Amino acid sequence: MEFLNLTLAQFLVTFGAVAAFSVALYLLDRTRRRLVVSTLRFWVTPGQPAPVSRNRKVNQPLSLLLQLLGMLLLLLAIAEFQFGGTLNKRRDHVLVLDTSAWMGASLPGANNGNTLMDLVRANALGWLRAVPPSDRVLVVRADGLATPATSWESDRRKIARAILESQPGATALNLSQNLEFARELQRQSGATAGEIVYAGPGRISAREANSMSLPPIPAFRILNVDDTVENAGLRSVGARRSDTDPGTWDILVRVRNYGKTARLANVTLNFGKAPMGLHPLELAPGAEKETVFKVRTRAAGILEARLYPKDAFAADNYAALELPEQRVLHVVAYTDQPDLMRPALASDPRVNAEFRPKSQYTPANDGLVILDRFHPQTSPQGNVLWIDPPSDKPPIPIRERVEKPEGLRWIPDQPLTEGLRARNTQIESASVFEMGPGTQRIAEIEKGPVLVARTSDDGKTRTVVIGFNPFAGTMRYELTTPLLLANILRWMEPGVFREVDVATQSTGAVSAPVPAALTRPAERNAVQVLTDNGTVLPFNIRDRAVQFFAGEPARVRVIAGNSERVFSLTLPEMWDTKWTAPTNARKGVPAWTDTFRRSHTIWPWLALAGLGLLLAEWIIYGNFASSRIHVVKSASVKSGLGSAA
Amino acid sequence: MPNPLLDRHFLERLERLTIHWQRSFPGLVGGHNRSNFAGGGQEFLDHRNYHSGDDLRAVNWRAFMRLDKMFLKMFQIEPRVPVRLLLDTSVSMSATGTPNKFDYALQLAASLCYVGLVRLDTIEVLPFSNAIHEGKTCGGGRHRFTPLSRFLEGLKPAGSTNFLAVSRQFLNDFPQRGLVIVISDFLDEAGCEKALQYIGDYGNELMLIQLWADEDRTPPWSGEFDFVDAESNARLHIHVDADARRHYTEAFDLFSASIKTVAMRNNGKYTGLPTSLSLEEAIFGSMARTRSIA
Repeated sequence: MEFLNLTLAQFLVTFGAVAAFSVALYLLDRTRRRLVVSTLRFWVTPGQPAPVSRNRKVNQPLSLLLQLLGMLLLLLAIAEFQFGGTLNKRRDHVLVLDTSAWMGASLPGANNGNTLMDLVRANALGWLRAVPPSDRVLVVRADGLATPATSWESDRRKIARAILESQPGATALNLSQNLEFARELQRQSGATAGEIVYAGPGRISAREANSMSLPPIPAFRILNVDDTVENAGLRSVGARRSDTDPGTWDILVRVRNYGKTARLANVTLNFGKAPMGLHPLELAPGAEKETVFKVRTRAAGILEARLYPKDAFAADNYAALELPEQRVLHVVAYTDQPDLMRPALASDPRVNAEFRPKSQYTPANDGLVILDRFHPQTSPQGNVLWIDPPSDKPPIPIRERVEKPEGLRWIPDQPLTEGLRARNTQIESASVFEMGPGTQRIAEIEKGPVLVARTSDDGKTRTVVIGFNPFAGTMRYELTTPLLLANILRWMEPGVFREVDVATQSTGAVSAPVPAALTRPAERNAVQVLTDNGTVLPFNIRDRAVQFFAGEPARVRVIAGNSERVFSLTLPEMWDTKWTAPTNARKGVPAWTDTFRRSHTIWPWLALAGLGLLLAEWIIYGNFASSRIHVVKSASVKSGLGSAA
Repeated sequence: MPNPLLDRHFLERLERLTIHWQRSFPGLVGGHNRSNFAGGGQEFLDHRNYHSGDDLRAVNWRAFMRLDKMFLKMFQIEPRVPVRLLLDTSVSMSATGTPNKFDYALQLAASLCYVGLVRLDTIEVLPFSNAIHEGKTCGGGRHRFTPLSRFLEGLKPAGSTNFLAVSRQFLNDFPQRGLVIVISDFLDEAGCEKALQYIGDYGNELMLIQLWADEDRTPPWSGEFDFVDAESNARLHIHVDADARRHYTEAFDLFSASIKTVAMRNNGKYTGLPTSLSLEEAIFGSMARTRSIA
């Protein structure tokens, strides 16, 4: 409670003075009055006791009460009494402005380029005009995230500016999160909670619709807009190297019809501005279809997918993704037995194997050098695979040479031993190495390690030393040998053998599958989510998938072990379903009467009540009462005359 | 010049009225009856010898011319029924009401006197309170109304009412029977019924006109009051409520009925008039209905 025009002390003093004056007048008027009359004889009935004076100090106390109450109400009106203090009186409203990607759609039948966003802005401004001036408003731009556009603001120009500057985003609306955020803002504001107003069409994703839980909102208002827009759009464009032809990309394009009528959509694909094909798709209302293009190229380039005909929402009619170059590992093998080694290296198209005799040795190395039982005078640069190095000047000190060793065992949980499960592999002979600092044990026998790996101190070069010849004896026929070689090649140049998927899809929440081994907490360091500029995005691994969120268009790389997925998040995140508002929510812009009803200005009512009480007191106890008695009295006298006559 | 008490138009309306009484007084008549007594009447009765000092206008000059002797014409005297108007001038008459009872009584008395003057009745106006004060006799036609009016205007309310003393004085001073008109509120603490009965018992016909103000009959007040009797200055502390007001009115009506009973018992007339009633309505309405005047 508070007074706008008077302080409490001023009010009490004023009311005290008025009340005292009124009581004094009342006592003068209503206490025993002296009156000269013609006779006293009729007041005393003969044979009956005289009427007893009750000696009351105050007669007609209700009259005094009505007078005091009336004057109190009038004084409260003059003081502009209000319920609630200044803080409590002011109410805080949150305007949740839908800035999802869908807001960029053109209005049906609009030729001036107006979009749904313009309609939402107009509704929001209309609502803002109806908000009482003393109330504060906070504008939240709602898409996949809740972004406050203003602080608690009572300056209508600032709020209007924030509304007008709101633009459609790139993500779909996450309504429950935005409303929860708005409710939390109201709780923390400290003032009386006003309305939470959602301005938008209420298009949400199926994911949110399935698990939607709106917070309890006492005053929820919806400024709905009509968004019956016919639209078909690209949902995603994915590129993956063909399993059968490494020089070919499989391009998967998914299209959805968001409208209510069936339509024919033509998907065109360009690579480096060269047309790659056109696929027509018949789309039923709400249906989603996919089509596959094949693009044969090893070069990097921009792949563009377009959807025709153009419709009201152009943002999802075009998608582009950047295809990476297909790299090849150049392997130079210095061996006297190239025929034994060739099948293992030629099996992978990403490996360009070159076999040279030892006499042609050169230390130059742009990929991987395999030295088969050979030790050059000058060690090669870069990555080197030593196979059964001679005992003189070995890359790793040799402790001893063991003939026909048994019990070969692969050290588990190593990238180099992935998939190697064979036991008791027969080896003709093997060198047992001395383990030094930085040396990694890969395989061992009872007398020590026979296969080790080492990474240089600067991490640029890697060396694997095999203390036996896997292409000799019975081991050459076992699966272990090509698996071991494949592991070594992948470990040496992981970038070449990494499986690359490129996809263009919508911004917002993204989920990418990862190998099961990487879902273990210990292996999570092998997962990275990076943008093009190197920014590390926060992510979560759940259900064997990496989940992250991109609030704006970006290219994001998800690196998980030997796989890399490149997400070109340029498509807008679209809705799946329309949200149904709760029945108790208020709809539309409030009328001025509603504003007046919610207004805290009660002094006119107080003034009316006060005047009403004073009028009632005057009618019941005042001069009006006397004149009324007078009229009745005259009538009775006349009737008395008639009887007397 | 308009009369301060009664305007000319009202006086013109009064000229067609006559004061009525019921009783027949032996030897006395009203303005329309003949009399066997000689005097200053209109009808010729006889001649007598002229004596020095007689009115020369009554000399029969025809007889003087023929007989050379002065004879005086004598006319019939018309003895009238004496009409006496007792006008209450006590303080109670001016204590309440707008107009107050005293002013109303003056206007009513003037009206009755004018009616009497027009009909050549002689009316003795006798103001009284605790005694009869100096009165005024009016008669001889309407042109005598102005002195009476001035007399009435000169009266002031004073004193307390004592009907018993007034009746004694009246019977002593005016033994001849006649019509006694009493204009009063009849508020005498000792009671007025016995005194009025005395006057009636002496052969007078009573015409009682009771005046009251509205608050005298139906008091409008509520609450705590300290009532003061206008005549005796007696005080009464009382809380007035609807019950008390109802009992008061019942007592007042009972009192009025007792006065009316006195009038009826003596073949007289009673008229009760509230001061809120216009004078015209009082005379041409209430009093006409009671045949006091017609």
